[in-house]
Amino acid sequence: MSGSLEPWAAVLFVGAVVGLGVYAVAVMDRLVARSFSGGSFRASAAFLTPVRDACLLLTQRRTDTERPDAQAWALAPALLAGLAAVGIAVVPFDADLAAADIGSGFVLFAAAVAFVMVAVYVHGWSANSTFSMVGGYRFVAAALSYQIPFLLALLGTALPAESLSVGEIVRAQESLWNVVRQPLGLPLYLVVAAGVSFWGPLNFPDTPDLGGGTMLEVSGPARLLWSVARGAMLVAVAVMGAAAFMGGWFGPVLPGPVWMSLKTLFLLVVLILVRHMIVRVRLERFVIIAWTVLIPLALVDVFVSGLLIL
Amino acid sequence: MVRAAYWLLASFVGVGAILVLLAAEFLGLVLILMMAGEMTIMAVFMVMFMMNPAGLNPMQMVHQHRVSIAGGVIAFLALASAGIFAAFPDRPASATDDTTAELGIELLGDSMLVFQTAGVALLTTMIGAIVLSSRTGRFGDAQEGSEAPHLQPDEPLHTPEPPEAEEVHHH
Repeated sequence: MSGSLEPWAAVLFVGAVVGLGVYAVAVMDRLVARSFSGGSFRASAAFLTPVRDACLLLTQRRTDTERPDAQAWALAPALLAGLAAVGIAVVPFDADLAAADIGSGFVLFAAAVAFVMVAVYVHGWSANSTFSMVGGYRFVAAALSYQIPFLLALLGTALPAESLSVGEIVRAQESLWNVVRQPLGLPLYLVVAAGVSFWGPLNFPDTPDLGGGTMLEVSGPARLLWSVARGAMLVAVAVMGAAAFMGGWFGPVLPGPVWMSLKTLFLLVVLILVRHMIVRVRLERFVIIAWTVLIPLALVDVFVSGLLIL
Repeated sequence: MVRAAYWLLASFVGVGAILVLLAAEFLGLVLILMMAGEMTIMAVFMVMFMMNPAGLNPMQMVHQHRVSIAGGVIAFLALASAGIFAAFPDRPASATDDTTAELGIELLGDSMLVFQTAGVALLTTMIGAIVLSSRTGRFGDAQEGSEAPHLQPDEPLHTPEPPEAEEVHHH
């Protein structure tokens, strides 16, 4: 177990990662969208638009529905943001730079991912509105399907480390990154990473075909917080992917945290490209693929990883 | 309804936190991890049994407010006083113990037969339940030959009358 930060420094650290990460996602998403749609665009617009959108949402009025579960509705975005913070907290950015690199960090990250289902379902449920609730149910179906391949893909990385601590998982990759050692792991993980942050092709709860899904009835600051929390979740899975599969802080010349940030940014760019290049999958098809293709592949991944250690 | 399920989840998270405080970090976190899914599935199943469509305009699930508040306060006070006044054994665990590794050795060592037997029994039960509840199986549609229930409760179910007889009856 590597040294953890002081409590106040850990809070600042996680807050900085979430803030910078969410802003980077917003900027890169706009840059990619603009370059795909062609035409002229100024880079400065991409940097300023997220801020402008956020300010607009902050001044917007809240909408209200008939008999919502007001407390749960208000708490759901906060829960999602907190889960993203928990996920980031267990990942070390350098040999001794982690908010909480605990012995069972892997399990805590998995628990945070499992609770995303609670946050999204409550967000869809508590508005007491049809399409929001359909979004919530869709996410439960999707989340139950991707959680097993997710756990198995991450578990494969814990095998060579012989530890559930994320720091140990990174240290076991000093000679060889897991993305090479377990070629199935990172693709499986990225599928799930898109699912857990309901991103791009796996955006089931907040889709345009549901008029926005769980976000349909949400406006103003609550909508801003939900979008930020969802971006933070995307950052959290990218940070974990960089640590678990791409060697974390290891890399030549540059210091560890820089490598870690670069790898995280790389995974975020991949996820953003996926969002703009791949059309949304139908939920039924995804559930079938998850149970019949992803889970067996993940089992093969774990089995082969275990065999290589023996 | 859903809120009740998630309050139960909150109490399970509390139990998990107690386990973490008792140095059983892995067990506590796994409990929290499992319960998120369990409670959501339970909530969805409960909603399926509700009368209103998919849970819109949720039913009031809490009855007898005064009695339940009083019961909750009394239970909390009783447990809290037990926690404060009871004499607990003082056996501090050493911080260096790797409880996760010990748990793994226990699960796959002496107790392996017990856990594997229980696991296979549970898996068999689940497969059996799916076989019993699935509509299609190797013997065809499970609902073949069955009849949808009539709207009138006293209408006889298994008397498919020929159409001529019905005409005669009406005239």
